[in-house]
Amino acid sequence: MAAASFAERRRRLLLIAAVVVTAVAALPLFVHDVYVQNILVLTLMYAALSQSWNILSGYCGQISLGHALYFGLGAYTSTILFTKYGVLPWFGMLGGGVLSAVIALALGYPCFRLRGHYFVIATIVIAETAYLLFLNWDWAGAALGINMRVRHDSWETFQFTRNKLPYFYFALGLAALTWIVTWALEDSKWGYGWRAVKDNPEAAESLGVVVFHSKMAAAAVSAFFTSVGGSFYAQFVSYIDPDSVMSFHFSLLMALPAVLGGIGTLWGPALGAAILIPLTELTRSFVGGSGKGIDLIVYGALVMIIALARPQGLISLFTRRPRARVHE
Amino acid sequence: MRVSRRTVLIGSTASLVATTLRAQQASEVVIGVIYPLSGASAQIGVDAQHAFNTAADIINTVHDLDLPLAKSAGLPGLGGAKVRLIFADHQADPQKGRAEAERLITQEKVAAIVGTYQSAVAVTVSETCERYEIPYLSADNSSPSLNRRGLKFYFRAAAHDEMFSAAMFDFFDALKKKGQKIETLALFHEDTIFGTDSSNAQLKLAGDRGYKVVANIKYRANSPSLTAEVQQLKAADADVLMPSSYTTDGILLVKTMGELGYLPKAMVAQDAGFAEKALYDAVGDKITGVISRGSFSLDLAAKRPSVGKVNDLYKARSGKDLNDYSSRQFMALIVLADAIDRAKSAEGEKIRASLVATDLPGERTIMPWKRVKFDETGQNNDADPVLLQWTGGKFVTIYPAQAAIAEAIWPMNKT
Amino acid sequence: MLTTATIVQSLASGLLMGLLYGLIAVGLALIFGLMDVVNFAHGEFLMAAMYAALGCSVFLALDPLIAAPLVAAALFAFGALVYLGIVRFAVRAKTNAGMVQIFATFGLAIVMRGLAQWLFTPDYRSIPSSWIGNRTVSIAGIFLPLPQLVGAVVAIAAFAGLYLVIRRTDFGRALEATREDAGAVALVGIDRNRVFAYGWGLGAALVGLAGAIMATFFYIYPDVGASFALIAYVTVALGGFGSVFGAFAGGIIVGLVEATTAMILPPALKSVGIYAVYLGVVFFRPRGLFGSI
Repeated sequence: MAAASFAERRRRLLLIAAVVVTAVAALPLFVHDVYVQNILVLTLMYAALSQSWNILSGYCGQISLGHALYFGLGAYTSTILFTKYGVLPWFGMLGGGVLSAVIALALGYPCFRLRGHYFVIATIVIAETAYLLFLNWDWAGAALGINMRVRHDSWETFQFTRNKLPYFYFALGLAALTWIVTWALEDSKWGYGWRAVKDNPEAAESLGVVVFHSKMAAAAVSAFFTSVGGSFYAQFVSYIDPDSVMSFHFSLLMALPAVLGGIGTLWGPALGAAILIPLTELTRSFVGGSGKGIDLIVYGALVMIIALARPQGLISLFTRRPRARVHE
Repeated sequence: MRVSRRTVLIGSTASLVATTLRAQQASEVVIGVIYPLSGASAQIGVDAQHAFNTAADIINTVHDLDLPLAKSAGLPGLGGAKVRLIFADHQADPQKGRAEAERLITQEKVAAIVGTYQSAVAVTVSETCERYEIPYLSADNSSPSLNRRGLKFYFRAAAHDEMFSAAMFDFFDALKKKGQKIETLALFHEDTIFGTDSSNAQLKLAGDRGYKVVANIKYRANSPSLTAEVQQLKAADADVLMPSSYTTDGILLVKTMGELGYLPKAMVAQDAGFAEKALYDAVGDKITGVISRGSFSLDLAAKRPSVGKVNDLYKARSGKDLNDYSSRQFMALIVLADAIDRAKSAEGEKIRASLVATDLPGERTIMPWKRVKFDETGQNNDADPVLLQWTGGKFVTIYPAQAAIAEAIWPMNKT
Repeated sequence: MLTTATIVQSLASGLLMGLLYGLIAVGLALIFGLMDVVNFAHGEFLMAAMYAALGCSVFLALDPLIAAPLVAAALFAFGALVYLGIVRFAVRAKTNAGMVQIFATFGLAIVMRGLAQWLFTPDYRSIPSSWIGNRTVSIAGIFLPLPQLVGAVVAIAAFAGLYLVIRRTDFGRALEATREDAGAVALVGIDRNRVFAYGWGLGAALVGLAGAIMATFFYIYPDVGASFALIAYVTVALGGFGSVFGAFAGGIIVGLVEATTAMILPPALKSVGIYAVYLGVVFFRPRGLFGSI
């Protein structure tokens, strides 16, 4: 059988994505239970967030464990603009995204010279600093957070009292958008540059300057979408405080689906989210009521097992390419 | 044989009534309880489960207590229907609290929800309840802003931080009249919602009533070290130290005070950690004489036997005495069940109307409250707080006068 | 309000606290710093050590100081087991080794917390009386709590000991060599798994010491490790990966910076000072102060 050409493979990926999106979009026809819809919305949101994270940390190789910074910035920017100045969340979302992208660029400049662990810890520490600052910033609500009263449904203000479907479709759109951006990056000058650097660190020397600029761009794109996700979250829950949108725990949760699904792959984050989020929610709801910590044990054990059994991510179970040797 | 129409009519009515009665008797009222059951505050959730189960037991079986619904089995207004509790874990996350509330309402069809310890989670849970028109009873959320959001289905039987803090300052005023010197205060509060609300209330009252705040120290919750903070307290050397701390920070605070050789003249705590047995097991001997605000006085049992009996029932399950939290959790379920019983229905709007009509005299509760009556924002303004002093290995009520069984020891005992 | 006495006390407390942070971090310095293996469960190791000390106190009536070697031995075994049973597979991964290590140990951390909650309940425990607990030494009006003093002394000894082990023993050399190139050392007959297992054991044992001492003055509950974990990572990174002395210096700096920041900013923001110093240092020295990796 003749091997498909590269362009054909690329087109096929797009086709598969379209089918998946259509199938997911049709789910609400069959799922009417509010609780299950909630899980779906969260899954899509994490798929989008994790895909954004994947752009920087998976493809570009700059592992960030401080992405909660952008998520929180997005949430706070759109919420503050809405509650204090009446700016509609649709615009606030974009504003938050731009702000986050700018900050990502500003941080990228000094931080990208750091290698490996130093970089990771720098991202953690920066996010923690932002968390502490927001926790003590009275104008932004400090520890009390900001509550948005939702009195009636409105597409204008993107608030809905019981209906989850608008949120569902937005999250689906965001997840699809981040997927397409990743798909585009895979076959781009930037993407090739990153791969070259990851495979051959010595090449970094000669490609250095070029790669640096594209890394900055990746950071900005990643921050932008993460931030939009944060604004979405704020509209979805209608209440934000530093603990729920800027904590270190959240940074880990954004990375987890990508790692388990397949970091640096196109479908990894979505797959990881599809498995992890329902697992988290269901163990908490049905095993967590005892107060004995059983749900934590189950959840943690599964994370461990998947991370160890499939270091290249669960997506490797689905690839038809000959299995690369990943263990010594 | 000719069966007369009357016979048929009587016969069918009788059987209809019988089936309805049987249906009602077989029914139950499901109530959702959302608490942290894992993570840092898991112990609170576990203790809360015991409190709620104690209350449910009293409601569902016959007890000789002067409490609503104690003397009957189940809810008489609904044909003896039993109350069934469903517990859910919110993991201190407002989003998860909301998800659980939605699940309880839409899948388990709960008639009402009680919760949640953390005020942040109460924000989203109560908003969700509002959207589905299900009553939410705030058992132990003390943030004053919660009942000021214009929610119709929000109810709080217990006091909030402004009421608690006012009691503290009333106490200071009373002591000053008796000649004690109380001029300077040191506020020591953690940086989450609880500490922020508490210190805001205390700052305002201090300003209104002419007390000088010589130190207002906000610290990071769950800090590995409080040495720097306690140093500042020591340097300020206020007449009264007023901590708003959870158990972990409370223990560390007291230990660090000991390490740095600092014992304040008086400590008046905003409850939380200072209501927990774990803190007193760890450092109780160092802070004899510490005063904490509370909602509950165990020594009320001397005048009101139901208090002691309920405490015994709770202790049998949990191994601890009722404290500020477990007592409020217990009462919340009793108040809610009483309202459902009077509503004779498990429908949200009817329960709400019944809650609005609640007027329970304090003697029929286990709390030192004047009564339970909700204002238009859902707040019970007659939930009189008490001040308790830790002496002789237990809490002694020292304020207000009608509930006190001893005079306050002021300043704190030095050992 | 900032008198000389206050400042001196602050710095003294900061120094002691810094050495204590160093003691908590020294195990991480070995595992993360020298073996270049991420351990996201470091805080939970500390928690386990504290519970072990509690157990020795309750069931064996042993003072934590006496129990410290026992706790260290128990943690040694535990650390080696964790490596052999879990981390070994994570290290083997050629792709995304770092991420796999992070999340495998992250999963382990959650399991450990869940287990602790299940076995011991979430309630807060402490050891009410011990030889050094609740005692404080006062020198010229400066208060030095005895547990922290002992912790500081043990920290210095631990760092010195670790330094000697790494520099002067075959094991230490094997450890560094294995980190550099496991394939090459295999040719010389060094089994990576054995060396790393011992390394993890030793690193965990050091955390065991820290936990035993902390149990004399800190409260114990399943999540107790979380607050110390981040400080431990920053300490090691600030000092530089691969340098034992770096981690030691990092601890002292962190403690002093924290104390100083608390005097200038509201104490709720005292960690920001530490973070700012870290970022400032790595901006000029991308490998930390003394790092070699």
